Amino acid sequence: MTSVLINAFKRLNLSIRPQVKVISSSYSTAVTTANSLNVTQKEWKYPPLYTKPREVWIENLDTVEEKKLGLFELHPSVYAAMPRIDIIHRNFVWQTKYRWVSWAHTKTRAEVRGGGRKPWPQKGLGRARHGSIRSPLWRGGGVAHGPRSGKTHFFMLPFHLRIHGLTSMLSAKLAQDDLHVVNNLELPTDESNYLADLIENRNWGPSVLIIDDTDIAPRNITVATDSLPHVNIMPVYGLNVYSMLKHDTLVLTLAAAERIEERILHHLNAITTEQQREFKLSQV
Amino acid sequence: MATVWRSQCAFARLLIGKIAQNPNNSPDLCTKLFQGPISVTSRNYSNYANSPFIERIKEQYEYDIIKNPPEWAYVERLLPFDTIPVVTPKENYPSGWIPPREEAVHLPYFVSRTKNHELPIYLNITYRGMRKITKIKKIEGDIWLLNDTLKAHLKETAGKYVETRVHELGKFIEVKGDYVNVIRNWAHSKGF
Repeated sequence: MTSVLINAFKRLNLSIRPQVKVISSSYSTAVTTANSLNVTQKEWKYPPLYTKPREVWIENLDTVEEKKLGLFELHPSVYAAMPRIDIIHRNFVWQTKYRWVSWAHTKTRAEVRGGGRKPWPQKGLGRARHGSIRSPLWRGGGVAHGPRSGKTHFFMLPFHLRIHGLTSMLSAKLAQDDLHVVNNLELPTDESNYLADLIENRNWGPSVLIIDDTDIAPRNITVATDSLPHVNIMPVYGLNVYSMLKHDTLVLTLAAAERIEERILHHLNAITTEQQREFKLSQV
Repeated sequence: MATVWRSQCAFARLLIGKIAQNPNNSPDLCTKLFQGPISVTSRNYSNYANSPFIERIKEQYEYDIIKNPPEWAYVERLLPFDTIPVVTPKENYPSGWIPPREEAVHLPYFVSRTKNHELPIYLNITYRGMRKITKIKKIEGDIWLLNDTLKAHLKETAGKYVETRVHELGKFIEVKGDYVNVIRNWAHSKGF
């Protein structure tokens, strides 16, 4: 495996200088034969000034062995941001909390059965004063300030922390070589063995998250991933920090990578007063 | 909706009475009912049975719908920007804003502009004005080299040692004291 890769690199290094073809935003035609390589150079609306764009290989899914179909540029503001672990953690906490409703419940002294009668007279017995056997002081009494059920933990994380969480997570994935870009999601078969072999062959780790631009994936991959609980498909609008943390490898299609880039770049360069407003429960 | 309309009717009758001639195509404020002189006897419009039915308002103007009219350009001019526009290059800017220069990109460190094309240099005042911290954000490249250069420059300008604090992960440097103008001039001289 490694020797094959090294050989491929040697060939590329030898041939890359004279044969690089620069294509502007027509990546779909980027196909390599043995010695030629197409590099997609992109025209961004907000071109990076200082940090260089990150380059990733475009891979394929139609063979088990990995084929490099070309190089693809990713915007550094989105895919090479500083991986702020604290922001990723805040996103994680937010995503676990906003959907959490706590159903823990205790009875107060009023709800515990009995205790309506004064257990003994106030004076004359030499005993402590008590008015009810269900007082919180008593064994078997009600609970003072205990949990009451149906408690929501919903809150909204500030808008730019959500954006920054996504960029941090994507950048961390790319930096750790856990982000792969594929040309499309077309598989030759609908057998899950094929996909499992492919993941095994490419060393993609125990779990894979596949992101596509559209929410209708090709039939073969939906059938193949249906019986693989550790391989999941998600549309671009479902991309979130929690899922990226949960899965080992992130596989983006070309269109998805571009779409994520475009949306995040837009929010990084737009007036976001509306999104930064205080969240109201009735606003959706 | 019906209840709202009916209550409007009652309200309108109290307020404007006969004077309202319904000038535009505004919702017909039940003018049909008040064609004649206003009767002194009251009618109970809070009653469902007595209130008038809502009718379709007659269109008073003729219009036709066209796609992409030439006037749409003027409407577009009024719409808010989708994103913050790129600065148009000029000889000088009357506001005193200084554009970033090309050669700054070749330095080992870089301070990028904010999305509003301003320098990310801020003054944080805390402890009731007792502590002033100048913060330089969005630093890319070698932040420690920038720190050294900036410290040397500040020592030269301020005539004394100036304490700084580098946050590499947060990509910012904090300088103890109010040095916003000094640092801003320094950043402009570097071309950021």
